[in-house]
Amino acid sequence: MEMEDPPLDDKARRMRDLLSSFYAPDPSMSAGSQPKGASFDNIDTDSFDADQYMNLLVQKANLEGLLQRHVEMAAEIKNLDTDLQMLVYENYNKFISATDAIKRMKSNIVGMESNMEQLLDKIMSVQSRSDGVNTSLFGKREHIEKLHRTRNLLRKVQVFNAIAHPRVVFYGKEQFIYDLPARLGKCIKTEAYADAVRFYTGAMPIFKAYGESSFQDCKRASEEAVVTITKNLQGKLFSDSESIQTRAEAAVLLKQLDFPVDGLKVRLFEKLEQSMGDLQVKIGDIAGALEESNDEHENNLQLGFSVPHDASVREFVEAVRAYRIIFPDSESQLIKLSEDLITKHFLTTEQYMKERVSTATFLRVLRIIWNDVLVIDEVLPEGLLHDYCFKVSQSAVKQYFSSTFSHLLQDVSDALMNVHVKPKDVSEEHHLQVALESGKNSLLKGSMDLLLGLRQLLEDNLDLLVKLRELMTDWVQAGFQQFFEALDTRFLLLSGRNKLSSQGQSPREGLQSEKVICGLVLVLAQLSVFVEQTAIPRITEARTEMAASFSGSGARGYEHGPFFLPAEICRVFRSASEKFLHHYINMRAYRISVLLRKRFTTPNWVKHKEPREVHMFVDLFLQEESVVTTIIKLGLKSLQEFVRLQTLNRSGFQQIQLDIQFLRTPLKELAEDEAAIDFLLDEVIVGASDRCLDPTPLEPPILDKLIQAKTAETREQNSSAASSTTQQRL
Amino acid sequence: MQAGSSGVGYGLKYQARCISDVKADTDHTSFLAGTLSLREENEVHLIRLSADGTELICEGLFSHPNEIWDLRSCPFDQRIFTTVYSTGESYGAAVWQIPELYGQLNSPQLERVALLDAHVSKIKCVLWWPSGRNDKLVSIDEENLFLWSLDSSKKAAQVQSKESAGTMHYLSGGAWDPHDVNSIAATCESSVQFWDLRTMTKTSSIDVSHVRTIDYDTKKDHILVTAEDETGIHIWDLRKTKVPIRELPGHTHWTWAVACNPEYDGLILSGGTDSAVNLWLAPTGSRDEITSDSGQNSLSLKVDPLVNSYTDYEDSVYGLAWSSREPWIFASLSYDGRVVVESVKPYLSRK
Repeated sequence: MEMEDPPLDDKARRMRDLLSSFYAPDPSMSAGSQPKGASFDNIDTDSFDADQYMNLLVQKANLEGLLQRHVEMAAEIKNLDTDLQMLVYENYNKFISATDAIKRMKSNIVGMESNMEQLLDKIMSVQSRSDGVNTSLFGKREHIEKLHRTRNLLRKVQVFNAIAHPRVVFYGKEQFIYDLPARLGKCIKTEAYADAVRFYTGAMPIFKAYGESSFQDCKRASEEAVVTITKNLQGKLFSDSESIQTRAEAAVLLKQLDFPVDGLKVRLFEKLEQSMGDLQVKIGDIAGALEESNDEHENNLQLGFSVPHDASVREFVEAVRAYRIIFPDSESQLIKLSEDLITKHFLTTEQYMKERVSTATFLRVLRIIWNDVLVIDEVLPEGLLHDYCFKVSQSAVKQYFSSTFSHLLQDVSDALMNVHVKPKDVSEEHHLQVALESGKNSLLKGSMDLLLGLRQLLEDNLDLLVKLRELMTDWVQAGFQQFFEALDTRFLLLSGRNKLSSQGQSPREGLQSEKVICGLVLVLAQLSVFVEQTAIPRITEARTEMAASFSGSGARGYEHGPFFLPAEICRVFRSASEKFLHHYINMRAYRISVLLRKRFTTPNWVKHKEPREVHMFVDLFLQEESVVTTIIKLGLKSLQEFVRLQTLNRSGFQQIQLDIQFLRTPLKELAEDEAAIDFLLDEVIVGASDRCLDPTPLEPPILDKLIQAKTAETREQNSSAASSTTQQRL
Repeated sequence: MQAGSSGVGYGLKYQARCISDVKADTDHTSFLAGTLSLREENEVHLIRLSADGTELICEGLFSHPNEIWDLRSCPFDQRIFTTVYSTGESYGAAVWQIPELYGQLNSPQLERVALLDAHVSKIKCVLWWPSGRNDKLVSIDEENLFLWSLDSSKKAAQVQSKESAGTMHYLSGGAWDPHDVNSIAATCESSVQFWDLRTMTKTSSIDVSHVRTIDYDTKKDHILVTAEDETGIHIWDLRKTKVPIRELPGHTHWTWAVACNPEYDGLILSGGTDSAVNLWLAPTGSRDEITSDSGQNSLSLKVDPLVNSYTDYEDSVYGLAWSSREPWIFASLSYDGRVVVESVKPYLSRK
């Protein structure tokens, strides 16, 4: 049934299979698919045995089966017949067509050889022509390749120039190089050296690559121009009239031109050093300005503005900046230079501080210096100039305090030395009082001013001072201690007691100025008491107040060294005041001694005349103002000693009796210790009687009469011309 | 008041100013003292310190015609001494000899060896050369300086030379340089003058006023100590006379007498009108240190130079004398006529 309607495709395929099996070299290949078991009964195999197949079939199958088989077999046979027919036909057909093709090929192949030869000829001629072209173009190609490379290079140059100078971008490369000498010339004329150098350095790689060939002339011309430029730049660099800025620029350009600049570096540095001279702080001006300035200027000044100074600092900083750029390895040198500048600032400051400098001025100077430091720090951050400044400033601030202290000492001692110049119309007492008061004032005011100044410095928020706060407090403390120690020494010197230390002044000179110094010694004693009882407590109080407002300072630091020890100073001055008082007494007693010596060595006591009146020496004795008990006692003791050295006749003894008797009343009024005075006066009389050949005393009535006469005379003198007696001196 | 009052006392009958060490007596520590009484008969006492040092014995008592203002024992003959005396109106000076057998005599009289009678103004002192035998004497009055040549065998003294101190210079005393037989120092109101006895000329002077007493350091050349009324004691280096090398405070009233110890460097005694005797230790250092001063000097200044103050006196002390035989012993004489002999040994241990 399958065979009845096989599709056309099946038919064609079968045909192809058949054909192929026919032409196949190995028949087994086509029969490979047959089942092996049915070899004898498979009709399509070589081993097929028709009889056996028949027998088998007859034996196995029934009739119907046999019939069926028969029908099938007949159909298959019929199919095979058809196929065979078709194959024969097809085979024949193919054979015919092949014959036809061979026939056609035979006719076509005639004449082909001649054509082939023709082709060969033509190919040969093409080959020879191509070679000719090749050889003729070889040189040109080389040249072109070279030009191509140049072009690439120039393109790069153009890009570089575009960065350096936008204008150049638009020039073609050849044109740029060829224009270079002219351009340089123009630059020289306009002194636009920077441009010139830029052009030249831009062109340098080209000259290096092609200088020997393409741009030889250009190169030579440019080099000549550059020599001129170099010369001009050097001129600039070495010219003093040019600003540092310009010179620095010139140096940069020269360096770009590969000019050896080390020599120039040294010179430029020297120039920089010289410029420092303009930078010096002029404290005199500042102080002057401060004094003159009114309120509106004050603020300005206190903020640290100083136009000329600022300008020169700026200039210096710019120069430093330029210098640093030109000579990158010059940092240490510049740092050193800046440090020198700061050091010089402080040296100048210290120099000025030998004069009186107000705190405001000092503060302002510090500001200026600190400003400079900050400005320079910007350019030279590696220098850590503020650290350096901090270090150096310590000594300056310290010196500021020490000079203030020494001025204070001078003030006090000046006030005291005024004692020596006494105006005529002023009484000595008043004069001494004035000296004492002015001494007290300058001491107290000076100390308070100093503390005020310290306070001003402590309160200031200048970085420099903020760092120094604790140190400043310590310095002032130590300063006070030293000041009072020095004051003690100065007092001692002024009192003339310390003869050993005042070399060159002979005791005789000392004695001549004795009278003036005498009062001074009393003033010194008083002033010492003042220091102990008023000045030190006041200073301590003010200091404590300050310590309270600046926590951390003042309270600390006592372990660091010789700080202010008020108790010790008080002790020193207490003992000094006692010493001076004692010295004063000694000096007074000395004066009395001199007086008595004159009195007792002059007359011949053995030939003394009868006493007629109280001797005038008693006036002089009583005139010794500020005669206190001790001095009287010493004086009377001296009187006794002088009497003992004499030999008296009766009248001499009576004279002394009279004089002593007169002295009793006024001396007892002056002195506190009446009994002692009485005793000493008696001792004089006893001494006189011992030394008298005939010690008969005066009759009491005569004694009284003479004393009354003297008393009356004294009273009269006192009332009429009190001042004239004061002038009546030895 | 010093502890224990170690002093040995002796009373003269009258007021007195002068006491002198009998240097020539090498067997005993003895002193000569003279009284100053205007109206009584004056005496010279020869006082000897007992061997155990606990007692002062009167070895001789001689009447002296007038009150004695100056008395010096001869450094080479223990029996000879000089006095300056006053009758009240006039002054005199003489060389005396203690009679040989004075112990056996009832009331021995002093033999007058020589009268130094060339003076016209007030005589201040008579000086022996302290260092040895020398037949010269110097006497000083207010105006003049005399150099005497003494012949004790002939009992005569002759003026060898004489020079005026110059007007306005009232001489008050003097001292003979123990290191230089030709040099003496004389005090006047405002200075100390130095004289060369060969030429009788003034060689130099120190400006210092009101000097009461001067004394040369017997151990050290060039060192002179002055005692002044008000300004205390000054020690001078005679090669640098502008400024004293040391200054000692002296006494509360006048410093009257001063005496350098003959043996111990820098040990100085002073007597004052404040009725006290002060013992000072003020070494002046070696010569180099004197010239260079500074360091050592300023250091020693800080140490209190006052070693002790003997205050057990009732009147001004005018007379002071170190014993040259026992140099740790000194005699002091106060105006009330009391002689006190003290030993400084307890204080020397400090040195």
